[in-house]
Amino acid sequence: MRRRTCFFVFALFFLAIWITPINNATAAEPIILGVPTSLGFLEGKEGLSCVKMAVDEINTSGGVKVGSVMRPFKVVAIDARGAEPGVPVSDVIRAHKKLILEDKANFIVFGSFRSECAIACMDVVGQYKVPMILGTAMSPGMQKKVMTDYDKYKYTFRACLNAIYLVKYLGGTMGYLNKEFGFNKVFIMNQDVAWARKTGDIMIKAVYDKMGWEVVGRQQYPTGSSDFSAGLMKAKAKGAQVILPIFDMPQSGILVKQWKSMHIPALMAGFISPLAGPGAWKTFDGKIAGAMNCIFEIGNMPVPKVPKSVEFYEKYLKKYGKPIEAGHSPAPAYEMIYVLKEAIERAGSVNGDKVVAALEKTDRVGAMGRIKFGKDHQVVYGNNPEVEALGCMIQWREPGKRVIVYPPSVAEGKIQLPEGLKSLK
Amino acid sequence: MLFGTLIYGFVNSAILALLAMGFNLTFGISGVANFAYGAVYIFSGFSVWIFLNTIGLPYLISVILAIILAILMGLFIYYGIILRIKGMPLSEVMATFGLGLAIMELFRYFDFVGFRYTLPVFIDGSLNIGDVYIDYQRMIIGLIAVVLTFGLYLFTNHTRMGLAFRAIAQDERTALTFGIDSDHVGALSMAIGCALAAIAAVVILPLGTIAVEGGYEVLINALAVCIVGGLGSTVGILVASVLIGYSQTFTANYLEPHWMMLVSLIAIAVVLIVKPSGLFSHQKELEERI
Repeated sequence: MRRRTCFFVFALFFLAIWITPINNATAAEPIILGVPTSLGFLEGKEGLSCVKMAVDEINTSGGVKVGSVMRPFKVVAIDARGAEPGVPVSDVIRAHKKLILEDKANFIVFGSFRSECAIACMDVVGQYKVPMILGTAMSPGMQKKVMTDYDKYKYTFRACLNAIYLVKYLGGTMGYLNKEFGFNKVFIMNQDVAWARKTGDIMIKAVYDKMGWEVVGRQQYPTGSSDFSAGLMKAKAKGAQVILPIFDMPQSGILVKQWKSMHIPALMAGFISPLAGPGAWKTFDGKIAGAMNCIFEIGNMPVPKVPKSVEFYEKYLKKYGKPIEAGHSPAPAYEMIYVLKEAIERAGSVNGDKVVAALEKTDRVGAMGRIKFGKDHQVVYGNNPEVEALGCMIQWREPGKRVIVYPPSVAEGKIQLPEGLKSLK
Repeated sequence: MLFGTLIYGFVNSAILALLAMGFNLTFGISGVANFAYGAVYIFSGFSVWIFLNTIGLPYLISVILAIILAILMGLFIYYGIILRIKGMPLSEVMATFGLGLAIMELFRYFDFVGFRYTLPVFIDGSLNIGDVYIDYQRMIIGLIAVVLTFGLYLFTNHTRMGLAFRAIAQDERTALTFGIDSDHVGALSMAIGCALAAIAAVVILPLGTIAVEGGYEVLINALAVCIVGGLGSTVGILVASVLIGYSQTFTANYLEPHWMMLVSLIAIAVVLIVKPSGLFSHQKELEERI
């Protein structure tokens, strides 16, 4: 009798297991995505949210098809704090090694916030043959390494905008300002970090020198600076018509407030991260009208002419209950997970070398436009979202509206000069 | 340009003086360590923001409540932490510094990250002085710094309580023989120091953004001013703020802003070599030891 009862219980147990619907993706071994980021910065925080959003979507729809097995993605995130002043690059390298060696990450996504860290970490991922897709670091030094020693550095890709493409957008805007208003004197204010320094350098050589602009001065501010009066006074004294700011630190919002309160008669046109999101108008008490800001990748802002960007932006709003505020990183963070999924499925494996080869063949239409990697493993950005990925320039207008003014393919209006600044034409 | 540099140099000096005042009162004058000072500054900023934006209180009420909260925090730090390790300066420093780190990282943990954490200015607009525009908020900062410095000088030199603050730093046992309740005075010193940090936060933060990292900078700046001016000396704080403030502004205007941080560090190094107790302090014991 006891034997029969035991048998009956076991039979019921196995039957229960057998009839319980098991999602193949959750049963199979997960694919570990290591996310070393900097959560103290908005780009890092929203970027991680976008990674998780994409992973949730993919896992809900069954996971990633690796050969004949459906495997889920699993996110292991570390706040490596690479964006913060004073945090040594060695700490960020350690975070990458922990993800690879202890957490057994198959891939590093969105990693190494600052270029200084990203470039150093290329050696780590190269050593362990773990593909890495960058979502914030912007220095072209990454591409240089890929091109000079491909076998060693081929594991690194970048989905976000880089400094060279940023220069193209800013250069296009400067050309427009020169053509429309006759402006030709600029004062550059940039954060003293690799990507911003490089962007400033390239702007001088590739844009201003070639276009015949006069760079009347340049000031570089360490991360954490909170007084920009020196640069603004110099800009005014030297008769600058345009101020080119290049900053991604939270304190850089002070620059806009000072620009307004000191009545500096020059157009602010460049990149100040706190000015990118829709919340900036309220944050700065509506005192940013006229300021122009680059949105590094569309999707971070909905562009009606690119439906996928609107779809992504609204999905984020629905999931997290608040809009994207960062102008850099969220959309690439989301798209890179899908890019990786498609590459793994093409490769039929999570082997680093095979996935690298598959990533190189990426061709996807997403929130940022069309996503394809160049030979240097950088996503190609341009002015036509049907052909390349896209960034744009916006101008803040009353009553708190962001109007796209560049490139012409997606522009919603023309550049307007702020009060006190007159056209030279 | 020179006139503008002078004006903004004054504002920078006033900001440094405001930042250092509470730290100087607690650590310099009373000898009670409060290395959670930067955290109290950030805590006060976020408190005002929460009262104002989340709860919807009027600005003035939010400011007053934030200052009261800072005072309560000061009392908690003293009775909850300092009292248990009193007499062990290194432990006091480490415990309060640890508490400061915990407070700041808690804000980060609870998602107080981003650009939206700003406070409105007291009075909007700016004034044109000799072709240099200066906003009213910066003028208010200058005014409050002058008033508080003068008030602190009077308090520590001409009131019984102020003298008691100094007495417990000089020799706690002797102070006890004169009937000074050192625990009571120490707690008050900590509470007033925290209130001064809150006042600094309330007037300075409307210029920019409330960021967790700001707490570390505040502590470094306060330390720099106190080391250069001399711990415990209100006049020293004033002179050191002016020296460092103007040096930083001139460096930013005539050299490069990224050299600004070096100004404080060089000033600290020079003072520690030439006059280790600071420009206006009289800690002979320290000088003799060096």
